[in-house]
Formats: sequence, structure tokens, C-alpha cells
Amino acid sequence: MLLFTGRGTKTCDGVSRRRFLCVGSLGLGGLSLADLLRHEAHAREAGRPVRRKSVILIWLAGGPSHLDMYDLKPAAPAEIRGEFRPIATNVPGIEISEHLPLQAQVMDRMAIVRSACHTNAGHGMGSQWMMTGYHATIEVNDNIYPSCGSVAARLAGPNDPALPAYVNLPRPVSFSKAAYLGASYNPFAPESDPNDPNFQVRNLKSPGRVDAARLSRRRELLKSIDNIRRDLDTRGDLQSLDKFYVDAMDLVTSGKAQQAFDISQEDAAVRDRYGRNDLGQCCLLARRLVEAGVTFVAIQAGGGWDTHGNNFQILKESLLPRYDRAVAALVSDLSERGLHEDVLVIAMGEFGRTPRINSGAGRDHWPGAMSVLYSGGGLKMGQVVGSTNRNAEYPTSRPCSPGCVLATVYHVLGIDYHHVFYDQANRPLPVLAEGQPIAELVG
Amino acid sequence: MRNSSLSHSCPFTARNAGSSQQIPGAGPRLVPLWLLCVSCVIAAGVEGVSRAWADMPAAGEAAASRESAGSSSEALAVEPSRIELHDLFAGRQLLVTCYGSDATRAARYASADPRVAEVDAAGYVSARGSGETEISVRVGEAECTVRVVVSAVGEGGVDFANEIVPIFSRYGCNSGGCHGKASGQNGFRLSLFGFDAGFDYQALVQQARGRRVFPAAAERSLLLLKATGQVPHGGGKRFEPESEAYGQLVRWIREGLPAARPDAPRLQGVEVLPAQAVLQPGKTQQLCVLAHYSDGSVRDVTRRCEYASNLDVVASIDAEGLVAAAGKVGEAAIMARYLGQVAVCRVLVPRSAPLAEIAGFEPANYVDRLCAEKWKKLGLLPSPPCDDAAFLRRVTLDVCGRLPTVEEVRAFLSLTDRDKRVQAVERLLASEDHAAFMAMRWGTILRNSHLAGSERAAYAFHNWLKDLFARNRPYDELVRGVVAAAGEWQDAPAINWYWQMRDDQLHQVTADTAQVFLGVRLACARCHHHPYERWSQEDYFGLAGFFTRLGRKSFGEPPPYFAAPQPTTGEVNPLTGRTPQPKFLNGEYVECGPDEDPRQLLVDWMVRPDNPYFAKVLVNRLWGHFFGQGLVNEVDDMRETNPPSNPELLDALAQDFISHGFDLRHIIRTIVNSRVYQLSSEPTSANAEDRQNFARFYARRLIAEVLLDAVDAATGSKTRFPNTSSRSRAIDLPHEGFGSYFLDAFDRPRRVTGCECERSSAATLAQVLLLANSDEIENKLADGQGRVARAVASGASDEVIIEELYLATLSRFPSEAERAQALGYVAGQADAGPAARQQALQDVLWALLNSKEFLFNH
Repeated sequence: MLLFTGRGTKTCDGVSRRRFLCVGSLGLGGLSLADLLRHEAHAREAGRPVRRKSVILIWLAGGPSHLDMYDLKPAAPAEIRGEFRPIATNVPGIEISEHLPLQAQVMDRMAIVRSACHTNAGHGMGSQWMMTGYHATIEVNDNIYPSCGSVAARLAGPNDPALPAYVNLPRPVSFSKAAYLGASYNPFAPESDPNDPNFQVRNLKSPGRVDAARLSRRRELLKSIDNIRRDLDTRGDLQSLDKFYVDAMDLVTSGKAQQAFDISQEDAAVRDRYGRNDLGQCCLLARRLVEAGVTFVAIQAGGGWDTHGNNFQILKESLLPRYDRAVAALVSDLSERGLHEDVLVIAMGEFGRTPRINSGAGRDHWPGAMSVLYSGGGLKMGQVVGSTNRNAEYPTSRPCSPGCVLATVYHVLGIDYHHVFYDQANRPLPVLAEGQPIAELVG
Repeated sequence: MRNSSLSHSCPFTARNAGSSQQIPGAGPRLVPLWLLCVSCVIAAGVEGVSRAWADMPAAGEAAASRESAGSSSEALAVEPSRIELHDLFAGRQLLVTCYGSDATRAARYASADPRVAEVDAAGYVSARGSGETEISVRVGEAECTVRVVVSAVGEGGVDFANEIVPIFSRYGCNSGGCHGKASGQNGFRLSLFGFDAGFDYQALVQQARGRRVFPAAAERSLLLLKATGQVPHGGGKRFEPESEAYGQLVRWIREGLPAARPDAPRLQGVEVLPAQAVLQPGKTQQLCVLAHYSDGSVRDVTRRCEYASNLDVVASIDAEGLVAAAGKVGEAAIMARYLGQVAVCRVLVPRSAPLAEIAGFEPANYVDRLCAEKWKKLGLLPSPPCDDAAFLRRVTLDVCGRLPTVEEVRAFLSLTDRDKRVQAVERLLASEDHAAFMAMRWGTILRNSHLAGSERAAYAFHNWLKDLFARNRPYDELVRGVVAAAGEWQDAPAINWYWQMRDDQLHQVTADTAQVFLGVRLACARCHHHPYERWSQEDYFGLAGFFTRLGRKSFGEPPPYFAAPQPTTGEVNPLTGRTPQPKFLNGEYVECGPDEDPRQLLVDWMVRPDNPYFAKVLVNRLWGHFFGQGLVNEVDDMRETNPPSNPELLDALAQDFISHGFDLRHIIRTIVNSRVYQLSSEPTSANAEDRQNFARFYARRLIAEVLLDAVDAATGSKTRFPNTSSRSRAIDLPHEGFGSYFLDAFDRPRRVTGCECERSSAATLAQVLLLANSDEIENKLADGQGRVARAVASGASDEVIIEELYLATLSRFPSEAERAQALGYVAGQADAGPAARQQALQDVLWALLNSKEFLFNH
């Protein structure tokens, strides 16, 4: 075998990462664990800040209506502006939708980017673009490029080794996978709704028939018979499976992960504050996870944001009240716990929605302008970045590409978004194809 | 220091054949280097050197020219012995050999007249002014001189395409991460890897209101200020003001920014010297890279090209072309790239001196002979043969995609026939499981999917493949059936391949045809020249030209496909602005009448015996299937810069495949009956470092479908898939649409690419939790009709049941120690009653399922 990586010796910023990527690992499969360890060693050498950052992404799958949430146009014609009215927030001069009253009270701890935009109005292509920073050339239902969470898992690793780096709640979010980074960086998901009284992380709690004593007997037995040499393969899969095995058993038995996922330990009042629904409880669980050491949590904020029909009724009766409560509670809770600077909350979907209301009182896909919500992470809060034209169709100032949106996230995590990965065809692909952190946010 | 058995060809003489004459009529702009390649011989009389030379492979011209040099014993050889330079930016890397080993860095150099030419410690000679001088080269007591003639300095200008664009490549300015990407970087965009000099010239000279370059004060040009970090530059400092690149840019700017001259000689190719090297651990080898131009001139670009090693744990390369053996034994390919042209130096770092023979290894066929040849060169010794149990498990997994049954293992182990392994192979190849497994593997890379309403077509396509494999139809029949598929899905189910690529049909079909059937990853060339290979956009659109007349009806899912007399695509070749014209990858354009299907002509070309790609990619793919990695890796990425680990073996397999009429089973038989395939996976001290040459069997994790079936078989508790027969196993599923958390956790491909690499063997937390701690597995262990329950109900003893569990999972009998261990465990629990005994037996099965020996094919 000759693996010709073709890995150039330089990156844009002049740093050679080639050794970092190649040494001691002979294939995509084997890169994973060794890389992680190397990276951590590397980070220590470089004396990076010990304080670890994390991200909670609230993914509004389907495309949230910017005109009805964060970018209202009361002066626009009725067929554009819709029925919702803006309300004042606790930051003078910033107005948001009347159906986000709780968020209006924490606006000083949030920032809205009104000028995010791209050009693809398909769910798949739009989601891929927003989740990865790359505009795919074909419509597929899976990641061609790695999601931002997978990149974080690969380059930052978990904040606590007893926990996975990257978690999706409650199930894997679309386009949240690792593509050419390797399956080890796919999200871990409980596959169960934390609002369900029987909430359990899939396979984390021992199956009913197996109590702790039996599991421990089994582990001992396995240790005594699992004697095959660990150097039989060429990619390090045998050893990394061992490592994951230890991790997994620690997750099951150590209690740290069990505790982090055990949302029932929260006071009923706290659980009520987030809202007794899947989104609310996922946000609360996400807070527990980042506190315990998960680096990146992506939450599927229900479905239903694809409001082609009956937009206003759906938003005001079901989507917005739950979303408003969950986000406001998360923002407040994080700052009350002193985590506001270390945890970035970001809420977005794959695109905005058409300014012109269709005949079914709905709004259709509109990538030309959308709003992205940021909170915390050490970014500058209490502001609106960018603006759109009178009908909220296009940015009129500070247009922000998907790359800019994600560069800001990577900035918070301390991830070099120029870092170059190599896909299966050995094409050099930087973390982001374009974009820079949004200057107004990173200061 | 002395290596009396160098096995690479002599670098100097190898080059001598091609480049030792000055080409008349060379343009003034690019002055040819007169390369005299007669080895410089001094200090004769050192013992043993003649043998070193004599051991080198003496091929044709190389041998002849060596003799003409009259060297019978050379302590010191310097290459070249005479240098002509015609430009202040010209230089020449000397290559110094001492007793057959590279001594370029060990030698001491001095120039008699530094005003004419300077030489640095690395042996690189640079022109400084017109005149003649001599460079002396000393290694220990030995010395020789190199004549240097520098002339015509200052005549002629800098050619933009030949001299300026390479600077942007060398310093990474035009790479995909920086100014080479489609959106450029901060408003400044260069063509990717410098394939479009005209574009780059525009970008530099005419855009940004001309402020990037400033002829009146060249040093104040933004280009230079940024590149040297004198003003803030996102890419940092790329070179120093003292560097040659800087000097060249200044000169080009001062000369008034001349554009690339259309009549300037064009780069035809690059050559790296030596082309092969054998390096002892810790040693170095200087490379010299020469660029050959259309006017026959040659220029040293050793310090202007980019280098990369494919395995820098074996051999690393620095920016000045010095290869260093990095510690690991093996073979690395060092790529030198200059203006889109590449050349490769293959560097072998052996474990020991070459071996005369591999004791105790009796080749069964040519696979064994050719592998052994390679091991001898590298000083590798193979692991011993695997035992019968390991063989049966391995070959059953690889040929049939399943574990051997308990009965099969018992029967095989009790056989005493000498050829029982050959018999087993025949039995497995003839079984239905083999066809099913091959159909699953091919269905995956042929994107057989149920999406877009093609549920029934996916079944039909799967069955069509399975039938071809069951009847062992020649491989070209399969390829023709797919690539030239036409008609309704009931008759030509392979049209599902086209249907699954309908959204971007022309491009995906072009890229998949190239990758799956020709082993060429051509997709890069859709938009730009392939960065590591010779493929251009013209090649890409030439292949696309065969698919421009593919029509489909407007009904049915998938709809009927047909070859239309006129183009059915609106896509155009951006180079011509017209519908792509069919052209084979060897460069021949094809005339195709309106009543012909161009795809048939394409397949005719593919299956020709002299097609350089078709047979090789298939045998390499099969090799990858049976050995876990191809001779070329990845299996479908065959290119000059990704050479096979054993080219002779790849060629022999391909020839065998062709001469046997593309008989798939013949190749499979040849592979699995070889001794190489039947080696133990346990490394020995003589091959532990081997990762390329198959001196031991490389273990690998079972793929998702096979693993699920193995778990089912071992537990005796079958997974049911909706809407299929109760006997359908995971490998029988025709498409990816059958929901299964298990299969997804172990990375079942989504069938959205033609690349084998869609499968990942990387471990995840979810996999381990699933195997070790899930209801899914627990229910199988405790299944009332499962293996443990049935064995207990049969009244068998602990010992008998434990033996059965070992046979069902690890396909072997337990060792005495393992038997005792498991018996002790069960006995310790059984005191608590029959239920506890049954649970204890389940625990044994749990532990076996979670053992690496179960999860891996080893």
C-alpha cells in the first residue's frame, strides 16, 4: 500500500500541519484517536487557555421565519409584514417579535445577526451549507462535508474525557455527521426524548437483566478471554476499539456521564422554567452536558419550522412560545451559573422564509436573508448586526455568509478554521471554504 | 557507509540517456542547460566498489553509458561533471555518490571563483556572473571538480508562465486554502495550482487598479510587501527579501511586467533523480529535479518545485529536496510537483540487507513469488501460515460474507486431505452466499438505492448482479450491462445506477465511470486541472462526451433510458462552449453516428486488452477486498503519484485477468489459494513494521452487514427486516433503506457515492455501547430460541456448550486455558440454580461477542 496523501506542506497561515495529520497513522480510520491525543498534547505545549469553551446549537430545521421572529418589518405592506408586531426589548432600540417576550427580557445577553444569507433554497443543500460552511454541488441527504460539531470533536475534543465531545439531542440532527473526518466524529445521541418520563440514553443504562454486579463480572470475564494481540491490523482500529471500549464502560459505570444525562436530577422548577416539552428539556439537558464537559451539543428544535401553510398560527400557537421559553431560560440559566462567557448558544435554520405571504398564509423558502441568534461565548452581546432591505429580502449591510456564521463559532472554540483536512480523494479542504468571524461580535 | 547491494538503478546513467545533448534552436528566454552526465571518477582503487556497481540492475542504455564512462571502481562520483548556466536565476543541484551511497550532504564544496558561481553546503550551484570556474567536491580524501560555465547573463527576460507562476505554487499562494480557491482570498484570486497563467497575469497586473505590482518602484509592490510580511498578510510571511523568488519577482516587475509569451517554450514534464533509492535507516538522499521544455531545454527546479512524501514515517522530504529515512521500514513515494507536472522517486527503507531467499516459504503461485521478491528487497520475512481454523474463518468471511457454521468448522478441522483448503475455496465460491455477498458489495458502489421510487428496480438490480456472480459471468459483461444500460428497469435493472444519479447525471456518471471502472478519480478535472495528475478539463469532458445522448422517458420510476440521436444535455464543455465530444482517456477522439450509442463505444474501449486501467482497477479492487487494502490504496485511486506497493504483482494479476477472459473467480481463486493470503495475522519481529507488503495478514473489523449476520448466527437469534423473507440476512438486503440501528451504528454505507471509502471502520462510542450494553444484544443472548437456550435445553454439559460457543463465534476450539476459564466462571455462578447457570453461559457468549477476535477478520 502506498497512501499518497498529496498533503501540501503548508497552509494559508504558513503552519505545517502535515506531520500532525500523518505521523503514526496510516489511514482515515486510524487517525481518530491518536490525532486527538496528539492534538491535546499539542494544545498543552502551545499553552492554550485552560478554560474550555463549548457550544449549544439550536437547529431550527425547516427554516425559521426571520420576518416573524427577529427582523420584523412593520412598515412593509401587509402581504409582507404579516400579522405579528414588534415589541421593545431590554436593549433600547432593538425590537423583536411580540411572540418572543421572554427573550426580549434577556436581549442584553443576546445578539442578532439579521444579515445572514446564502443562495440555495433547498432543505438539503441549505442545511449542508449552514451546518458545514460548504455549498454542496449535489443534493444528497447526508454530509459530504463535516458538520461544525464534528470539526469541533476532531479539533477540540471533549472538555472532559469521561464524556463524548459531540452530542445531538434528542436524535442525530440532519447533516450533523463527520463525512471525511471519520465516523468516530459523528455525534453521539441518546435517541430518546428528555421530556419523556422514561428518558434514557440509548444503551447507556444497563439492560434490565444485567445488574451492576453482572456487568462487572462480564468485564472481568472479557478481560480474561480477550487475548488477541492488538497489533494485528494496520490502521490502529483494534487499539482504538479498545479505547472506546474503556470509554464506553466508563460512561456506563463511572456515573459521570450517567449523571450528566440524568435530567431528573434537576428541580421541577428548573424543568418548568425551560418548558416541559422536547425543546425545553433538550436545552436543559444541553446545559447539563456542557457543564459536565461536552464540547458541542446540537439540538433538533422540533420540526415544523417549514411553515409553507398557516405560518402565523403555527408560529404563535406552538413553535414560538416553546422556543421563546427554552432559549430565554437557557440564556438566563447559563449566566446565573457563570457559564455565559464559556458557552455559546446559537440558534438558526437552513434559511429564512419568503417575505411575501403565500395564498395559504404561509411563507416559503428564502435563503436571501435570515436571522441568526448568538448568545454568550465571550462575544459582544446586546446588539443587532447587519440589516435587510425594507421587505427583509436581502442584506443591506454586513452580509454574512454561512462561513462567517460558523467562523464565529470556531472563533469561540479557539479552532483554526484555516486548518486543512483531506477528504477521501486527498483533496485539501480547509475547515471553512470562506468566511471570517463576524467582527461586531468578536470585537 | 558502503552498500554493496544497491538495488536501484543508477541515477546518473538513467538520466544520461535522455538529456545529454544540447538542443539547437532553444529560445533565448529559457536557455538550455547542457548536462554532461559523464561520471567524474577520481581515486580509483578502492576495494569492493566495482562489485557495488556490478550489482546494480544493468538495463540497456544505463549499463552502456556506465561502461562508456569507464568506471570500474568509483569512490566518488559527482553528477554532472560540467554545468552550463545562462541566467542569474539558474542553478544546478549536484549529486555526489560515494561508494554507491549518496554523499551530497557529506561532501565539502568550494568554488574557484565565487563571482562566477557559488556553491552552498548542500551542493547547489548558483550562477553569479558570466565566466568560467570550477567547483571542487571533496569527500574525505577523494576529490573531483565540476566545470561551470555561466554565459548570456542578463539576456532575455523573465517568462511569466515559466518563472513567475511556479513561485505562487511553491509558496502555496495559489493553493485551495488560499488565493487559489474559487472565492479567492480577500479579493485576490489566482488560478488553482497555477494552471491558468493568463488568469493569474490578469489578477496581478490588471485587477485592483494595478496596485499589486508597481514597475516604478518594484520593491513597493503590494505583492512583495505582503509576501515578505512587510505589511499585514493573512497568510503571513512567505519568503524573505533575500530569496531567489523575491529577486525574480523584482526583476519581472522591473522589466515592465511582460506577459507570458505565446512562443516561450512550454513545460513538458519533470524528472526526478534518482527515480528510485534504497536508504538505510538514518541516511539521506539528495534529489535533483529537472524540468524539460518543449524546445528540448532542461532546467534545474530542485529548489522551485514542491515536494510531498506519501509516508513520511518512512521517508521525509524537505524543501531543498533532501530525503531522509525517517525510522520506519517500508517504501515511500516522494512526489515532486512543478507547474502541474509531477514525478515520483520511490524510496525503499529496508529492514536489513536484501535477502537471498525466504526460507521455508514455498510459493504456490505467482502471487507468492512476486510478494516474496518484494520481501527479499525489504528484508522482510513473512509470518508463518495461519492454522486451519483461522483460514476457514477468514476465507468464509471474505468469499461469502459470513462466519463458518459450527458444523463447517468441525468438519473442516477433522479433514486430513492435503488440499482441503483448495476444496473449501471451491465449495464457498460455488455457494449462493458468495454471489449474495458480491452483489451486496457491488450494489453499494453502484449506488443501488430505493430512493426516488425505485424500490422494485433496486431489488431487480440486486438480483441481476447476484445472478451474474452466481453464473460467474465475465466482468466485462457486468460493466457493459451497467455503463451501457438502456431500456426499462424490468429488462435492464442497471438503469437504477443512472436513475440514482439523475440530479447531476452527466457529471456524476462521468466521475463514477472513471472511478469505479477505470480507477481514475477524475472529478477534480471538472473544474480545474487535476493537481497531482495529468488529467485536464479536456480529458474530463471527453469522457463526459459519451454520456451526452442519454435520454429518458417521462414515466416510470426509474423511467426507461435510451440512447438518443441528439444530445439530451444542456451541459457544455467550458473549454469549447459546445456539447462535450466523446474522447477516450488515452486522448483519441471518437466519431459516433446518430444511430450508435456512444456508451457502447466507450465500453468497447474499456474492455480492450490493451486498456491500461480496466483490468488493473478490478484486480486491485479484489485484492483490497481480500487483504483489506489494495496494492494501490485507495483501491480506486490509481495514478502515477500513488504507485502500487508491488507493481509487478498488479501487472501480473491484470494480465492473468485479461488472458482468462475477465474471469472473476479465477482471480479470487488465485488470491485466496496463495500462501500470502494464508499467512498468520500475528506479526513477527521480522515484519511487525510492514504495512504495505502483506508479509502478514492485516486484520480488519467486520463490515456492518457481515457483523450483524455474525452476531445473529452466533447467538442463534435472527434479526428480522421488514418486508423481506424471514431468512433474509443483512447481506441479502438489496438496498440501504431497511431501518436498522445496528447497521447504521456500524456505518452501513448510504450508497451515495461510488467510492469504497464510504465505509469507515472507525470505532465509535455508540458501537461499543450497542455491543456491550444494549437491549438489542441482550435480547439475542437471552432469546428463548437462541443458541444458549437451545443448548441448555438439549441437556448438554457446560463443557460442550462452551465449546459450541467458541466454534460459533471465534470459529475455533477453545484452548485448554480458555476452556478452564469459562468452565470456572459458569461453575461459580451455577450454584445459584439453573437460571443462574444459563445466565452465566450467556455471559460467556457476551464476552466472546465483545472480544476483538470476534469483531475482526484476522
